[in-house]
Amino acid sequence: MKLLTTTNRYYLILVLVLFALGTGVLYVGIQRALAEEVDEQLLFHRDYLRQRIRQAGALPSMTNPNELTISKSVRPPGLGDTLIYDPVERTLVPFRQVSFAVELHGQRYGLTLRKSLIETGDVLEVVLTVMLTVMGGLLGCLVLLNRWLSRWLWAPFYRTLDSLRGYRLQQPQALELPATPIDEFSELNQALAQLTQRVTADYQALKEFTENAAHETQTPLAIMQAQLEQLMQLPELPETAAQPVHELYRATRRLSRLHQALTLLSKIENRQFTEARPVQLDGLVRDKLGQLQEFLEAKQIEPELQVAAPLSVAMHPALADSLVSNLLQNAVKHNVPGGQLRIRLDAHALEIRNTGLPLDGDPTQLLGRFRKHNAASDSPGLGLSIAQQICGLYGGQLRYTFTPDGAWHTLRAQF
Amino acid sequence: MKVLIVEDEAPLRASLLDFLRHDGYVCETAESYRQAHEKIKLYQYDCVLVDLTLPDGNGLNLVRTLKADKSEAGVLILSARDGLDDKIQGLELGADDYLAKPFHLAELNARLRAILRRRQFQGQRHLAFRDLTVFPDQALVLVHEQPVTLTRKEYDLLLFFLANPSRVLTKEAIAEHIWGDAADMADSFDFIYTHLKNLRKKLQDAGADNYIRTIYGLGYKLVTED
Repeated sequence: MKLLTTTNRYYLILVLVLFALGTGVLYVGIQRALAEEVDEQLLFHRDYLRQRIRQAGALPSMTNPNELTISKSVRPPGLGDTLIYDPVERTLVPFRQVSFAVELHGQRYGLTLRKSLIETGDVLEVVLTVMLTVMGGLLGCLVLLNRWLSRWLWAPFYRTLDSLRGYRLQQPQALELPATPIDEFSELNQALAQLTQRVTADYQALKEFTENAAHETQTPLAIMQAQLEQLMQLPELPETAAQPVHELYRATRRLSRLHQALTLLSKIENRQFTEARPVQLDGLVRDKLGQLQEFLEAKQIEPELQVAAPLSVAMHPALADSLVSNLLQNAVKHNVPGGQLRIRLDAHALEIRNTGLPLDGDPTQLLGRFRKHNAASDSPGLGLSIAQQICGLYGGQLRYTFTPDGAWHTLRAQF
Repeated sequence: MKVLIVEDEAPLRASLLDFLRHDGYVCETAESYRQAHEKIKLYQYDCVLVDLTLPDGNGLNLVRTLKADKSEAGVLILSARDGLDDKIQGLELGADDYLAKPFHLAELNARLRAILRRRQFQGQRHLAFRDLTVFPDQALVLVHEQPVTLTRKEYDLLLFFLANPSRVLTKEAIAEHIWGDAADMADSFDFIYTHLKNLRKKLQDAGADNYIRTIYGLGYKLVTED
């Protein structure tokens, strides 16, 4: 909900309460003032009548029964309320009356003066009409004011928001925020500028660290590997030394590949792969299957590729490559001779199903780092972790399921 | 063949020098950006091996200088920075190839030869080895002037051996040369064995000697003479 809408909501509640209260008070006040005025007039009229009767020595001749009744029976004197049926409007109309007695020629007469009261409903109507008109006007003005406020007053805020949305950590130029005369917004902009500077510096440091770590590790490994290779060329190398030298050489390769995989993982985690363009995964799958042809043939696996819909994902080409080859290599490596490999692509997912040995252990652990089917294998067991990280980087998900019936392993990369 | 090795790590520089000299190249070395810059400005090389991370500068600038001078030299980038950007940038600047450290020396040799072959053997592009002649452009292999039909993998394998005569090639180096990324698939070593067996058989059937020897515990070697 927008800030202004929220403020308006509270404002509206306050206005409603005030107006209800005001309407009530106004209604009661008007009613009371009117009643007092009527009483005053009745009493004044009574005094006037008494005086006239005393001076004239006769009762008033023509009287409207609704305004004055004269009877010989004397009512208790004082003010009171009554309802009289109005034959024209066919309703009972409220009246205020005052009863008093006069003595004329030794005879006591009871006189009652009446005055019609304006109907309560009418008063309420007037009050509500006035109040609602004012309230409506106020709300209308409020909406207009808000529209103006959000357009002009909040404009710097939205500009800041736009620059933030467009800001990429990897871009070389700093975040540029427009200057604004409003203190709150300029403070916000300052704080944001400082924050992004710090974050950029951290990011840069992290990036350099990964690159330096790669360089500092791979260089000695390169020296070791080159020296070992040269050692292996020596004709005088005794056979007893050949085996250990070769083992050293293999271990060097293994260490180097492990380090490459870890560097790749941390680079994905640091979001250092910014370039992305649409990659057609079906084409990539076909390419990779071609590269694995020999391994497939050796295990007598006939891959089945089903493309329900071409899947195109915007990603870094090298990562797309790594994702597909890791998944396919995994499906071939852990397949059984004469097994099956089914690849299905639809508009949102790449699904790779392969037969294999029954799964031992926790299926949720399979995507973890350093998970290996065969502990003695040279591969560091990071392939599926890398695939999972790549999916995650592009807002997707990699899910593993195992179907005991037929020992099917399914890896589904959902985008 | 004159090659300049630009590498700041002394042991690696020594290995490269030793290896390439042994292979018959005339080599010079530079251990810093400044030295390398001076040498490429003064002398002509057939190929320059450039390490990107030098203590006093970025190797990519050497590539820029070479290209700006319209040098004939081939450029092979060697980098320990596992940067895809470096690779793309390097190749865009006009480098011929890119090799990430650590690399197999045999692989370096194969790439170096490919660069030199592309740049130099205008007209007579063929490799001769004992009774074997290979025309890489046409993927044609002749034994005693008679063509031999090889599969793609057997052919790649043969070229890799021809680039590295008299050298022990480890199975790892061969596997990575042939399959790249997929080299650590479990059966790749068995495949090398199978391909080699077929290759040897085809060559011997055509009347060639058996030049590809198994070196126990290490790998294989193409022997120049018995």
